Parts: sequence; structure tokens; C-alpha cells
Amino acid sequence: MLRGFLVLVLFFLLGEALQKVFLIPVSGGVLGMMLMTLTLMFKGGISDDLASASQGLISVLVLLIMPGVVGVFFTADQFAGQWLAVAAALLGGTFLSVLSTLWLMSRVVRLGGGKGE
Amino acid sequence: MNDWYSRLLSLPETLSASPALAIGLTFGAFFAGNAVFRRIGRPLWLPPVVLSAVLLAAVVALLGMDYKAYQQGAHWLTVLLGPATVALGIPLYQQMHHIRALWRPILVTLPIAATLAAVYALVIAWSLGATPEVLASLAPKSVTAPIAIGITQQLGGSVPLMMGGLLITGVVATLFVDLAARWLAISDDRILGFALGLNGHAVGTARAFEISPTAGAFASLGMGLTGVFTALILPLVFHL
Repeated sequence: MLRGFLVLVLFFLLGEALQKVFLIPVSGGVLGMMLMTLTLMFKGGISDDLASASQGLISVLVLLIMPGVVGVFFTADQFAGQWLAVAAALLGGTFLSVLSTLWLMSRVVRLGGGKGE
Repeated sequence: MNDWYSRLLSLPETLSASPALAIGLTFGAFFAGNAVFRRIGRPLWLPPVVLSAVLLAAVVALLGMDYKAYQQGAHWLTVLLGPATVALGIPLYQQMHHIRALWRPILVTLPIAATLAAVYALVIAWSLGATPEVLASLAPKSVTAPIAIGITQQLGGSVPLMMGGLLITGVVATLFVDLAARWLAISDDRILGFALGLNGHAVGTARAFEISPTAGAFASLGMGLTGVFTALILPLVFHL
């Protein structure tokens, strides 16, 4: 599992390095994720170590974003004065975009793009 | 006698010099939030992340701990977000056959849906008189945190406001996907997962992994693609 964790950290560092050197406007983590998928597709298999390390990290994803989440309660005064616009944009905007995504995707899938279950 | 008492009272401050307290509090709140969530019957409208965050904020405030001090300690956990993002590439690979079967709908849906996710919010906020700074903070609301921070800074927004919007978006997107799925009678895990990741970034992806590994993989894909697409397009669109 630690060996798998090392692989994840290395890919992350590789992504960060690429991002810093080539000034790519995408975070090192996402670059690392794409490199990881491509590498696995190329290799055509995955070690147990890597599978268990990634499963472990994914299952605590919520734990990792919590420190950022808690900030909302301590920076709430930044919403002051504009809270109506912010709340309407977040709630209304997200509602509309969720509906659009689901509708659009299910529509395109039904049109015959997605063969094979 | 008074000495040890005053030392006891200043303990939160003394202990927050090391990250152990912040990490311990975060772990504690995470498990407590999950326990409360199970106890009250797993309501969809109140996900564990919100319960845990409320608990954590309450404890930090009660201890009289400075939020900055907490944030510094908890930074140790946030560092793991990088490798965790890389870890999302693994379910992506394992579910590649599902993704291959659906590449066309994904390619059609992604640019439209990711653009709409930002545009709806911007139009609503703008029509209600939000300042350019607030608009810049709301624009990346559906993008995963590490990428969104970069976008907001580039556009001249406020990072704490963006993080708040990000969380609220993640939670309500999770709710709305569950509701809308019933409403539109969609039960395809691949579509639900994709919508969760595209609109609700990491919060939606965490929820998608609760539905099924397939939903989780599509959420990772939706989150990653939305992040990349938005990071490339938004700075161009925003200045128009």
C-alpha cells in the first residue's frame, strides 16, 4: 500500500513539474491523473499496491476537502451585501446546470451514441 | 493553583503550534459527522461532509482557536489532495471500457455542460448586481478546488469566497442530481456519475463512489474534464 502511495506521489510531482515548467493552466493533480490513466492503459494492468492505495485515498476524499470547506463559516462576512446574488447564482445556477447536463447526456446517449451496456 | 488553570485555558493556542491538533480535530469531525449521518437515517439533503464541517467549525470556534492556526495545521491533510486527485486516474482506467462505449456523448455533452455550469451562475449573479470580484469568485464554482484556486486568482476573484461557493455548489449539485434523476427517470449510473463530477467536483465524485464504482469513474472523468476545459476556456470567455 505504501509502495502504491509512492507511485501516486511521484505522478503528482511529475504533474506539478510539467505544470510549473510549461505553465499549463491545469493543476498538477489533474495532469498526474491523466498521466496515470495513460500509463495504465499503456501498461495494460494495475498492481494490487496501487489499487489499494488509490482506494484508500479516494474513500477519504471528503476528509481531505474538509479543511477548505470549514473556511466558509469563517469567511461568511465576505458574502455580506451580495449574499442574495451569490445564493441565487449558486442554487439557481447549479439547479439549471444539473438539469441541462442530465437532459443533454441522456438525450445524446439515447440518440445512439452509447452502444453496449 | 491559578497557574495550571490559566495554562489549561491557553491550551488550544499552545497545542495549535503543532499540526496534530488540527489533524485530530478534522479526523474526529469526519468520523463524528459520518456517525451522525447514519444515526439520522442517511438523509440526502444533509450529506456527511456538511455535518462534519459544521461540527468542525463549532469545535474550532468553541476552543477559541484562530481559524488561520487551524488552517495551517490542516494544511498537512490538504497536501494529500494532490495524490488523491492522481488516485482518481485508477478507477478511470478500470472503467475505461465503459468510457470507450460512451465517448461520443461525453465529447458532445462536456463542452456545452461545462460552459453552462459557469454561464448560468454568472448571468444570475450579474443580473442581481454582483461586483466583478464576486463574479470572478463564482465563475469556477463547478471546478475541483486545486484548479479553481488558479482560475479565481487569474480572474481577480476572492479565494475564500470561491471555496465557499465551491462547497455549496458541490452539496446542492449532489442533491439536485439525486432529485432530477428521479424526475427525469434516469437510472444510468454512467450519466448520473458524469453529471455529479461535472457539476459537483470532489463532493459530487465522493457521492458518485457511494452509488457505484462505475458512477465514480464517470464522476472522476467529468470532474477532470470540466477542470481542464474550464481552466482553458474561462479566462478567454470571462473578459468578453
